[in-house]
Amino acid sequence: MANTENQHNFDNLWSDVCHLFPILSHEKHEYLAQESPHDDLTTMQAIVSAGQEELVEQLVLTEVESQLRNNIVPVFWQRFSVLDGRTQSLDPFKDAVDCLYESLASIVPILQSLVLLRQTAQTERQVCGQSSLLETFKVMVRASLHSQLPLNYQAITEDFYRISFKVFCNSENKDAEQNESTEDIFQCAGCGQEVELCQCQSIINAFHETNGKLQELDLLERLAGDVLTTLIHRRIESHVQETCKGSFDVPHIGSLEGWLDTVVMGWLSRIYSSGSFGFRESENKSTVSSVETLSKMKQTLRYFLYETYTRTRIDQLFNIIIEYPDSEPAVEDLRICLQKIDLRQHLTQKLQRALETRLLHPGVNTPDILTAYVAAIRALRTLDPSGVLLDTVTQPVRQYLRWRDDTVRCVVTSLTEEGPSDLAEELSRGEALQLDDLTPSEEDTKNWESWNPDPVDADPSKTSQSRRTSDIISMLVNVYGSKDLFVNEYRTLLADRLLSSLNYNTEKEIRYLELLKLRFGESQLHYCEVMLKDIYDSKRINTHLHSDTNFNLDNQEFAITAMILSAQFWPQFNKETLELPEFVQEHLDTYTKAFETLKGNRTLCWKPQLGSVNLDIELKDRKVNFTVSPIHATIIWHFQTKNQWTIEELSQIMHAPATLVRRKITYWLSQGLLHEIAPDTFELVEESGPRVKGHIPADIVCDDEETESAMASAQEQREEDLQVFWNYIVGMLTNLDSMSLERILQMLKMFALQGPTTIEVSLQELRHFLDRKVAEEKLLFYGGVYRLPKS
Amino acid sequence: MKVTIKSWTGVATWRWVANDDTCGICRLAFDGCCPDCKLPGDDCPLVWGQCSHCFHIHCIMKWLNSQPVHHQCPMCRQEWKFKE
Repeated sequence: MANTENQHNFDNLWSDVCHLFPILSHEKHEYLAQESPHDDLTTMQAIVSAGQEELVEQLVLTEVESQLRNNIVPVFWQRFSVLDGRTQSLDPFKDAVDCLYESLASIVPILQSLVLLRQTAQTERQVCGQSSLLETFKVMVRASLHSQLPLNYQAITEDFYRISFKVFCNSENKDAEQNESTEDIFQCAGCGQEVELCQCQSIINAFHETNGKLQELDLLERLAGDVLTTLIHRRIESHVQETCKGSFDVPHIGSLEGWLDTVVMGWLSRIYSSGSFGFRESENKSTVSSVETLSKMKQTLRYFLYETYTRTRIDQLFNIIIEYPDSEPAVEDLRICLQKIDLRQHLTQKLQRALETRLLHPGVNTPDILTAYVAAIRALRTLDPSGVLLDTVTQPVRQYLRWRDDTVRCVVTSLTEEGPSDLAEELSRGEALQLDDLTPSEEDTKNWESWNPDPVDADPSKTSQSRRTSDIISMLVNVYGSKDLFVNEYRTLLADRLLSSLNYNTEKEIRYLELLKLRFGESQLHYCEVMLKDIYDSKRINTHLHSDTNFNLDNQEFAITAMILSAQFWPQFNKETLELPEFVQEHLDTYTKAFETLKGNRTLCWKPQLGSVNLDIELKDRKVNFTVSPIHATIIWHFQTKNQWTIEELSQIMHAPATLVRRKITYWLSQGLLHEIAPDTFELVEESGPRVKGHIPADIVCDDEETESAMASAQEQREEDLQVFWNYIVGMLTNLDSMSLERILQMLKMFALQGPTTIEVSLQELRHFLDRKVAEEKLLFYGGVYRLPKS
Repeated sequence: MKVTIKSWTGVATWRWVANDDTCGICRLAFDGCCPDCKLPGDDCPLVWGQCSHCFHIHCIMKWLNSQPVHHQCPMCRQEWKFKE
């Protein structure tokens, strides 16, 4: 009997419970609002007294969960999959969220009842790790949502946020540009509709509403977080790209940060702080958490902004360097960014590649490479004062420059160039040259307190001191690692300049020399000093000889002045021969006699091919004045005696090679004085009639006159040095029959390279030299050894 | 045609008229200068002895000063006398 009664009681209780939680009865019950709370309370007390509150709660929650899984969530996701095509409206997402919100809201009363039940039973239990039932419910919602996540849900969320972001940005801009005329705009930039039909406001409203709902459900981060981040990242990228496009002369970091703080963060904070309805437990908690989220996001985004900016700048770094120092703000920006973002490796690689593809190929002139190198030195020095970055990045440039033949010449030329040149400026700053040496200086240990370690990618074989202090010129000189090459090249250059100008004006050169002496040291440039003194002395001697009537120099048909050089101190002259006309030679001899009288026991050796001649040429119909080189003068001089000459005859009478005569005679052809009547036969043109003029070939090139050097090239000089060894080598091979290349070098080092003038010779160079001898059939090379040919 | 030369600027190198190229004492070129000098020519002239040997003046002076008793030419050991 008791059983039946129990059964009866239980049935009653169950129906009450079902009444209280309609969800349990598996039928669509409307929640009866008119039920008095008193009844609910008694039911609850009954449940508690039966000790079944836990069971009931579990039953209800299970039911709620299955409701979520089977009905609400599928319906929500359904809306995403139906609309596969992209739409330009906010609706799908908004509708979906609205619908979800409503369905979830219908469950809230059940939860409230459960809460009440808990209060009656006075229990504190944790379900799903949450002590509050509302939180438990949220966990359940999220779990079910995620468990059924469709693949393409992001498309729709993305649309939603992209449109709203666009509208938002637009409204921000509008505030800023209120004054600008809007006459021409028929389309609203935000929503893409015509201005009259602008939906911006409604979009913004809908947007806020939706976000508010999502936020309440704690779904914002989960559902839209990814999308938001990608969206913002993309936006940052495009904004940075736009800002950085081509302008290096304005710092951008400040404005970019401002943009991030106002526009992006403004939008985000609106999303996260949208209104609240019923799902909030306490206002404070969520505000705190949203503020926290925001600040966290801000940090991430700022980092991302820096990274994007840095990457963009690194991509442009080559151009930035070329435009340095105009691009200094950009470099400064980059420096700040590099302190925050570790992209050194990336920078090194990128810049090296850029340098290699854009600079280090045969299509670029050496001066251009040098300009770029100098700019790089300056820019990278600003970027990284320790110089390590510079060292690593420009390694390929230095290697490449070493390989170019005319590097030294270009450096020296630009050092002493007139007008604004980076190097000339640098030179006039006048500091002693810093060459790499490995001895740590005293100062290193003295300033130990301010010592900083080198960056990880530093080359440990160099002292940081040398990296920090060495200036541009030192770095250029270090490309080769020795001053001698530069000094020699400068000497040749100076000689050329002095002998081509022939005006005894050495003030400018003296100034440069003084500057160079500060750099390269007194002893290195001693030869150049003597050269300049020669010029100065020549001027004095000339005046002296001409003013002294005893020498009769002024009574001659023409005045002779001379550059009297100290041969030992000048670079080797070209070994060109030239027989001057007898008339001229006589004059030169008179001058020599005068000189011999003035300076006892000394005499002069003329370099007939050097100098300049001023002459008048009288033709039948005109008289022309020319300033030409002696060889030109000699050629035209010979046409006085005879109207027609062949190259062969001229070359014989002038004792000059035919090729040289051939080359020089073009000058007179271009002047219209001579005329080639047959190959290699020339005739004087006495009258410049129109007929003759037409015959002058237009493409005659005679501009090589300026650039031709009077000095033997460095290569020729080197050749001569090596020629000294040839005697040794012949001697060795006569005695030892056959020797390998290494053995020859060894022997040379032992004997020939011991003298006071130590000439360094590398294996490579020697091989080259010997190979040429083999080609000239003065040597045999067989089976890895050299031997002399049997004669 | 008539060519009239108005002026001629030539280039020449000077050298000592001596029977050798290098100084017998310092083994450096006569046309250069002795080891103590920087500038050749007037600043570091040659001198001839009566024995017809010649040296940088600084070189031979240094040599003569180092000889306590007899002043001899370092080349031929004859008594050193400057050629007038």
